[in-house]
Amino acid sequence: MPSSSRSSSKRASLSVPRADKQTLLRRVTIDLTGLPPTPEEVATFLADDAPDAYERLVDRLLASPHYGERWGRHWLDIAGYADSDGYTDSDPARLWAYRYRDYVIRSINADKPIDEFIREQLAGDEMVKQPYKNLSPGDIDKLTATAFLRMVPDGTAAAATGEQTVARNAVVSETLKVVSSTLFGLTVGCAQCHDHKYDPIPQVDYYRLRAIFEPGFDLEHWRTPNARLISLMTDEERAKAAAVEKEAQVVETERKAKENEFIEKVLTWELEKKPEELREPLRTAYRTEAKKRTPEQLKLLKEHPTINQLSPGSLYLYDRTYGTKHQAELKVFSDKEAEIRKRKPAEIFIPAFTETATAAKTPPPTFVFSRGDPQQPKDKVEPSDLTVLTTFHPSNIPDSTPAQPTTGRRLAFAMSVTDGKHPLTTRVFVNRVWHHHFGRGIVASVGDFGHLGDKPTHPELLDWLASEFVAEHWSLKQLHRLIVTSTAYRQSSEHTAAQDHVDPDNYLLGRMNIQRIEAETLRDAMLAISGKLNPKMFGAPVPVKTDEDGQIVVGVDTTDTAGRPTGKYIPLNGDEFRRSVYIQMRRSKPLGMLETFDLPRMEPNCERRNASTIAPQSLAMMNGEFTLDEAKYFAERVTREVGADPTTEIKHAWLLAFGCAPTDAELKDSIAFLAKQTAHFKTDPVKPEAVAKGKEGPPTEPAMQALSSFCQALLTSNEFFYVD
Amino acid sequence: MNPQNSGCLSRRHFLATSGFHLSAFGLAYLLKQDGLLGAPDKPDLEVPHYDLLPKKPHYEPQAKAMISMFMQGGPSQIDLFDPKPELDKLDGKKFPGDIKYDDAAHASTTVMASAWKYQKHGQCGTEVSELLPGFASIVDDAVLLRGMQSSVNNHGQAIYALQNGRVLGGRPTIGSWLTYALGSESQELPAYVALTDPRGLPVLGVDNWTNGWLPSIYQGTAVRSKEPRIPNLDAAPYLRGEAQDNYLGFLNQLNHEHLDRHPGESDLEARIASYTLAAKLQTAAKEALDISKESESTKRLYGIDNPATAEFGTRCLIARRLVERGVRFVQLFTANQTWDHHMGIIGSLPAACKYVDIPAAGLVKDLKQRGLLDSTIVHWGGEMGRLPVIQYDSGRAKVGRDHNTYGFSMWVAGGGFKGGMTYGETDEFGHHAVKDIVSHHDYHATILHLFGLDHTKLTFTRNGTAMSLTDNQGGRLVKEIIT
Repeated sequence: MPSSSRSSSKRASLSVPRADKQTLLRRVTIDLTGLPPTPEEVATFLADDAPDAYERLVDRLLASPHYGERWGRHWLDIAGYADSDGYTDSDPARLWAYRYRDYVIRSINADKPIDEFIREQLAGDEMVKQPYKNLSPGDIDKLTATAFLRMVPDGTAAAATGEQTVARNAVVSETLKVVSSTLFGLTVGCAQCHDHKYDPIPQVDYYRLRAIFEPGFDLEHWRTPNARLISLMTDEERAKAAAVEKEAQVVETERKAKENEFIEKVLTWELEKKPEELREPLRTAYRTEAKKRTPEQLKLLKEHPTINQLSPGSLYLYDRTYGTKHQAELKVFSDKEAEIRKRKPAEIFIPAFTETATAAKTPPPTFVFSRGDPQQPKDKVEPSDLTVLTTFHPSNIPDSTPAQPTTGRRLAFAMSVTDGKHPLTTRVFVNRVWHHHFGRGIVASVGDFGHLGDKPTHPELLDWLASEFVAEHWSLKQLHRLIVTSTAYRQSSEHTAAQDHVDPDNYLLGRMNIQRIEAETLRDAMLAISGKLNPKMFGAPVPVKTDEDGQIVVGVDTTDTAGRPTGKYIPLNGDEFRRSVYIQMRRSKPLGMLETFDLPRMEPNCERRNASTIAPQSLAMMNGEFTLDEAKYFAERVTREVGADPTTEIKHAWLLAFGCAPTDAELKDSIAFLAKQTAHFKTDPVKPEAVAKGKEGPPTEPAMQALSSFCQALLTSNEFFYVD
Repeated sequence: MNPQNSGCLSRRHFLATSGFHLSAFGLAYLLKQDGLLGAPDKPDLEVPHYDLLPKKPHYEPQAKAMISMFMQGGPSQIDLFDPKPELDKLDGKKFPGDIKYDDAAHASTTVMASAWKYQKHGQCGTEVSELLPGFASIVDDAVLLRGMQSSVNNHGQAIYALQNGRVLGGRPTIGSWLTYALGSESQELPAYVALTDPRGLPVLGVDNWTNGWLPSIYQGTAVRSKEPRIPNLDAAPYLRGEAQDNYLGFLNQLNHEHLDRHPGESDLEARIASYTLAAKLQTAAKEALDISKESESTKRLYGIDNPATAEFGTRCLIARRLVERGVRFVQLFTANQTWDHHMGIIGSLPAACKYVDIPAAGLVKDLKQRGLLDSTIVHWGGEMGRLPVIQYDSGRAKVGRDHNTYGFSMWVAGGGFKGGMTYGETDEFGHHAVKDIVSHHDYHATILHLFGLDHTKLTFTRNGTAMSLTDNQGGRLVKEIIT
């Protein structure tokens, strides 16, 4: 292991100083949990003079449930997690995807060995006894894990018949992209059409890899996203649901009778408006089945559209004519039906990737597609790992496993890539972890270990970490310990002139990189500092909606079917303050606040995020509703906790936001700013305004207005945005 | 990348060795490198780069900008643009043919002639209803399209057709396509602006200016009539002016103290500069929306001196100011169903016309006198027209007209459109377009053409498929109406 990053707390660093305790605390806390240290955590750590204080801090952070939310999010990026199907314009919600998100967070928190974690995601279904009924929690986990292979956009439910081949093929090829970039750090996608131009991946290899997954996809006997869900409903619950449905049907029958009665009434009233001699012929024509009407009857009806088009669907339109309340009366029935149906036991589903019995028995063949076109199949291929890898590491993937209810292809593949000897899986994984800790991987192109990617800056280090990782039973937490307690990680981020001269980009890690916090961390940290963060974990995603200006915000959509605002407001009761990983990730509706700060679009996954610096980010920080609300809550918290003395307030706010005390100059500037801003609001009082439902009004007193403004400055400052 | 074997200089290296100094070229650098509104400064492998910098079209364009006045609800072509003497003869009698209704319960087959008189106007002598004296005064500068057709009888689907090319939602609007293709001439103002009506949003609300699956920087920016006018761009009312200046000054102090402790971190400097830029954008938008320095005669031209037309006139004038400053696409909306005259058309159609007509004509005249009309397309129209028969046949005060998407009218002017002509015809009753029909695809293809864009080549790849505004649905370039 190169000396610059050897993990040794006793050994003095070579040239650069260590980060001070406060800096290190903020760095490692945000790194491992995505949240800033609390004032109590700062005090505890600073007071802890024991030689292993830092190691114990790391242990505590790794034991926090917030750790899984933070590092689970990293995995969700590469898996391409989203709460909608994408592909088509309607982008239907993927209601049960969150079960996979929860599986990931739970697994990471439990430090599930990563080999097992990967195996479950590739072939969990092949480890569970069939049929998938009355499942144990462990079995549910294994099946849910396979949703990793169900994350990519899937438009096959909505795509037209003529577009099915293309749409289905897109699901398969996108899934292969996710699998290959996750496990191999390679973009095999281009070998779909031709031999890879730069890497030793012939086209046939792509299809051999594809053959491993083919039986689960089965293009000819395709299952749409909903058809792939597995119900967790027990037989007993099912019986109860049937009984409730029967009850509801009784009311439904009553409603339909009433509906007919109303139609008869309206028909009679409408007929009364017609000349007497037309009434009977019209009534007869109306009652005659559409197909059996004579040409005369058709003509007659056409001349009298109000009778011709009377139907259960248009009945409500006649309420206006007659001042009747038919629609309202019928609604009483349908409401009652809905009320009864609510008593049905809730049916929970898990998204899963499975093989049908038929596909397992006679696996669908995989062909090389000429130029990647699924309509031009050529040679048939057998399942296998990439040739370039099998030369070092045979994969032995069976065509089928007659003794088993599945083909065994994915299970064999999963075992092979996690046997600890596979040349890429561990290196790619370890490199990705390093990338998240340092802001750049040892191979900087985390998603491309191939020829076009970057060369490793520290190849021996990468190999060493990968072998340590396997030796430590694929424990991710152990890997974090190894990395975050290293000298490299604990360095100061300060530049030196000499170093900038020889290594201006810090490839050799002569100092720590400063990093901009990611979108979710930004939002979550603001919530944590303002005291609003709701730590509730797991479950259905917090909804997002498009507000009246077209911005995507957290909230329940209450527009009508024509997209018009109804003025209704449905409170979220604190769910709006949950961590960002629990906010709905609709592909077509990314939360605006997060998207501005480079939340990736999952098409299909994200190997590395951008960290852009653009004016709309600054505008969101200066004027955005979320920022202003959080600044106000932050100010209220400060006053609540330490009273109204400006110096005390400033110091406390500083501690909450940055985990340290202000410098003398900062304190002086802050006091001056508070005084100036308070004076401004006193001489130019804020005019009270009406506050819409669900919105937060501005602070009311000049002192609070000034303090909110101060808190906003802290939350929008570089010190907050960057981790040293 | 390894420093030993890397042939190219990274950005950070470049900055360090070139003595990066913000005051020298920081802003320009940010604008150019990062794009004003959203391009990443560290492009990922294979992550495409999107920005709003001006881009060259496929060929020499005639139009550089467009202002669309979207008359949501469906203005009655029979009463405004498309005189039908045959209806005068049949008034009150049975309609001699087939009719497609939307609202069955109040439908009738009784013909209703227009209650308003038509007269010839301009050099061209186009007949225009007495309800539109403004339009009548600019008829020599406009093409009146009398054969429009979208053939979907519902508001939502018909709006989608006109705005995004198909009858379904989720797709990018034409404004989004234009900014994706051409960027914006201004890096200080939003490239695509939706000027909403203070009386409410149109049907489909914010879907009218959605970017669909195009990158979100191509979404329209809604500008409201009251403060804060642009979300995120305007300060909250209580923080406007001195309060925000104080805040920005203090933030700058904090950031510089922080920078002093982190010498050599160019990302920190860039973020400081991005606040300066943001403040500049705020000022630029405020300036563009402020009409107080416009002359009285200009304001009069737009009807701003008259309470009945002041609101729409102000928005028309703002639209001109935006286009003048380089904004690519501006769309003005009327309130929800302003033009949906199912009933009471005798009273409410004149009111709807009055609200917009003089301002709309003022806009064309003002653009012309400033030499902007040649490069600016002006559009006035809704998603449908109306039927020649009565709906709510229960007394003169109640009568109205139901939807008609089989034949309706709208007008376009400037940006390469001819002046003083009508194009297209409906049947003798004004129900179906029968000659020189212009579908929404034809309309879109023609607009794109005037911007120098071939509608079959302007594509965005999604799910491996090249998607376009006209979406392989045909789309005829209507050569007859362009210069």
